[in-house]
Amino acid sequence: MPESVDIQLKKGALDLCVLALLSRADGYAYEIASRLAVAIGMGEGTIYPLMRRMQSDGLVETYLVESTAGPSRKYYRLTPKGRESFAAQRDAWRAFATAVDDILGEPQ
Amino acid sequence: MTREAFMARLWDGLKGLPPQTAAEIVADYQAHFTEGEAAGRTDSDIAAALGDPDRLAVELRAEAGLKRWEAERNPAAAAAAVFAVLGLGAIDLLILLPILMGVVCTLFGIAIACIGVMIAGAVVFAAGPFSQPPGGPVVALLGGLGLMAGSVSGAAILTLICIGLTNALVWYGRLHFRLLKPAIDPQPWATTEPARP
Repeated sequence: MPESVDIQLKKGALDLCVLALLSRADGYAYEIASRLAVAIGMGEGTIYPLMRRMQSDGLVETYLVESTAGPSRKYYRLTPKGRESFAAQRDAWRAFATAVDDILGEPQ
Repeated sequence: MTREAFMARLWDGLKGLPPQTAAEIVADYQAHFTEGEAAGRTDSDIAAALGDPDRLAVELRAEAGLKRWEAERNPAAAAAAVFAVLGLGAIDLLILLPILMGVVCTLFGIAIACIGVMIAGAVVFAAGPFSQPPGGPVVALLGGLGLMAGSVSGAAILTLICIGLTNALVWYGRLHFRLLKPAIDPQPWATTEPARP
């Protein structure tokens, strides 16, 4: 299964991106999906399997917010476990990204 | 693809899930279409950006199967998890199947051997006092007990190996379905349309 580097990178980073967005503010799936679709070009449909997985792993929880127009929205917020996981993944990502940047930046 | 067509294929793909779970999933995607329409996008735009409903259903079903295995730890759940992982296409069947067959046959053989030793132990234990075994009836009794205990511990180790193998397969499958290729390939609208305000 040859996959481009691009896709492999996105695969690894998607969880982290969702956790990062939710760490700043609670959000609903459509908003998260369109944000990431534009920013990193992921398929919008993948957000739902991902959110279900995160929910069953106890990283996020949901609550409903009544909307004046249309049906109520399902919002996601990070659980304490989700915050921990985000902090750990963020640090790991930064350390890794710095190391790769250092190597890329070395003179040929 | 229209909203109705997308939903119909998603429903179809989710067959076999608990009705409650399938309904929740479908409600998520219905809400997505509603939000998208409110943002002024067409159904076909939204459907294209969501990705292939069949593949999404496969991933959603696989996740449910793996969760069940983690919660239940019984042979039925293990089989469901293994098939869910295979269904993802994450593992090439042609490569995996011969290996899996070999492993399963070996484990089956060991299981049969355990049962055989168990029966042999029972026979020695039961027949010991009534025949004239070498070493006397006490040796036969103890020997029979030993054989039975050995087979029980063998079976226990075998069970642990089975659980470990299933876990390994599930772990491997999960690595591959974190995101599905067709769903993550950049969608045309994502590059041509400006960000939603």
